Amino acid sequence: MAGEEAVASGAVASGAVASGAVASGAVASGAVASGAVASAPVADLDGDGLLGDFPEGRRLVGTRCDQCGAAMIGARVVCSSCVSQAVSRVALPATGVLYSFTRLHGLSGQRGVPGQDGGAGVRPIGYVDLDLDSGGGVRTLADIREGAVPLRPDMRVVFGVDGDDWFFTPAQAADEAGSSDE
Amino acid sequence: MSEQVYVVSAAMIPFGKHRGSSYVGLAVSPLIDALRGAGIGKSDVDAVYVGHSYGGMMTGQRITKEIGLGTVPTLNVDNACSSGASALHEAWTAISQGQAEVAVVIGVEKLTQFGGGTLPLSPEDREVKQGLVMPAVYAMRATRYLYENDADVTDLARVSVKARRHGALNPFAQFRQEVTVEQVLAARPVADPLTLLMCCPTGDGAAVTVLASERARARRRMPRGIRVAASVLHSGQVAEGFRDMTKPEISYESARDAYAQAGIGPGDLDLIELHDAFSIAELVYYEAFGLTGKHTAAALLRDGRTTFGGDVVVNPSGGLLAKGHPVGASGVAQVAEAFWQLTGQAGARQVPDARWALTHVTGGGTAGLDHGACTIHVFEAA
Repeated sequence: MAGEEAVASGAVASGAVASGAVASGAVASGAVASGAVASAPVADLDGDGLLGDFPEGRRLVGTRCDQCGAAMIGARVVCSSCVSQAVSRVALPATGVLYSFTRLHGLSGQRGVPGQDGGAGVRPIGYVDLDLDSGGGVRTLADIREGAVPLRPDMRVVFGVDGDDWFFTPAQAADEAGSSDE
Repeated sequence: MSEQVYVVSAAMIPFGKHRGSSYVGLAVSPLIDALRGAGIGKSDVDAVYVGHSYGGMMTGQRITKEIGLGTVPTLNVDNACSSGASALHEAWTAISQGQAEVAVVIGVEKLTQFGGGTLPLSPEDREVKQGLVMPAVYAMRATRYLYENDADVTDLARVSVKARRHGALNPFAQFRQEVTVEQVLAARPVADPLTLLMCCPTGDGAAVTVLASERARARRRMPRGIRVAASVLHSGQVAEGFRDMTKPEISYESARDAYAQAGIGPGDLDLIELHDAFSIAELVYYEAFGLTGKHTAAALLRDGRTTFGGDVVVNPSGGLLAKGHPVGASGVAQVAEAFWQLTGQAGARQVPDARWALTHVTGGGTAGLDHGACTIHVFEAA
């Protein structure tokens, strides 16, 4: 049925609508879906990683809203701003700014938790605001690889991949190592 | 005209590691004591609201059945660290709208069941999958705060020192030993720049209050108690991109609404019990609650204006840092502190002539939100 277009244009979808997309489109456009609407579950547990393969290489997976242009982290099915379900999978930028960071202590493994197992491991993590010139910006939590340059807020960082692990590292250190794509 | 609502009694157990007690074992004594304090029996209760995050199914009913308090609606409320205060907000709503006259609010949590470590967060959350834990959230807040403000790591330590000094006077506090700035800074690092003594402890606890309408209070000859002047519950709003972690909008907006509802301003407050889960939080909330302007929170603390003898006593109970933070219990325990302070029953930690109190808890741990829930209450001596 041509329900999605009809609902998006403000018409009323009547009868048994077996599509979550149509029902939520109605939310965005202000139309009313009447009748028994069989909303669809989202299989968001399939593929939980943020790392994806794109023409430009391995990048963080993002989502851009086809309707309002908002950008989001991860594979999403609905825009958190305008509630459109017309969204596209995109590669997120490989550069950004370190908003803040910490080093978690007392880890016994890379993915351990602090203070629980009393290990000697230290894990630097931080929030990175990616370089997006439209869409309201995207912030991601990330492992931070420290080099010779001390970490500080507002420093420029670049994306890196090591096997299945991904991280950001100070841009200056990456330049020195010759691995920056900036 | 909505009904005026009063907290007519409060009771709690000392927070600590009560390994031999279940959720029922933690909560049943303060439940009995709170009913006795109100001078009522179980048949006087119209509704029960129970805040907890890790108690499992029917925690409230498991507790109330021990004293045969059934039939009436019992609602289990989970809003992470705001669970207990959210339960209180629900009770206030029911009474102020005339759906109940007398309600019991229970906050209870047993964190020793996890054997130590950080608070278990939802494994479905994107950032939790990446390894995020609550100390990391507050540590990143602290890193940014120290970068932007005229403050350094010793100010974070001073928050803990003040909390312990207050907690030393509180028989309900988990930690009753004072500490020095040097001890706080030398403690084991947890998440830079936070050391162990800048983090609230793991523990168990339960607190219970009885709320009543003005009419029920008079008719059943209950104690005067304290008036609920404001009850505000906000949820977080997602930010996909930039967020100023030093200015948590959920607490700013909740405070603004609470002041408006109560008809007072920050200068009227005699005491505040705020959500100092980690020491950085207290500095951030000084500004959020309008106690001070931009970049001056650390100076407020250093000058002693938020302790006894200052402008307003922040966390006279010792706060989460010293009293402890059994998640779902904390919001109700703050109200118990306000009740004792505003009724002149706070003993060695009594704030002289206290008339106005504000309590604040906020629950986090969700990617994209500053915090998921924030509850602020304002109370006036009756």
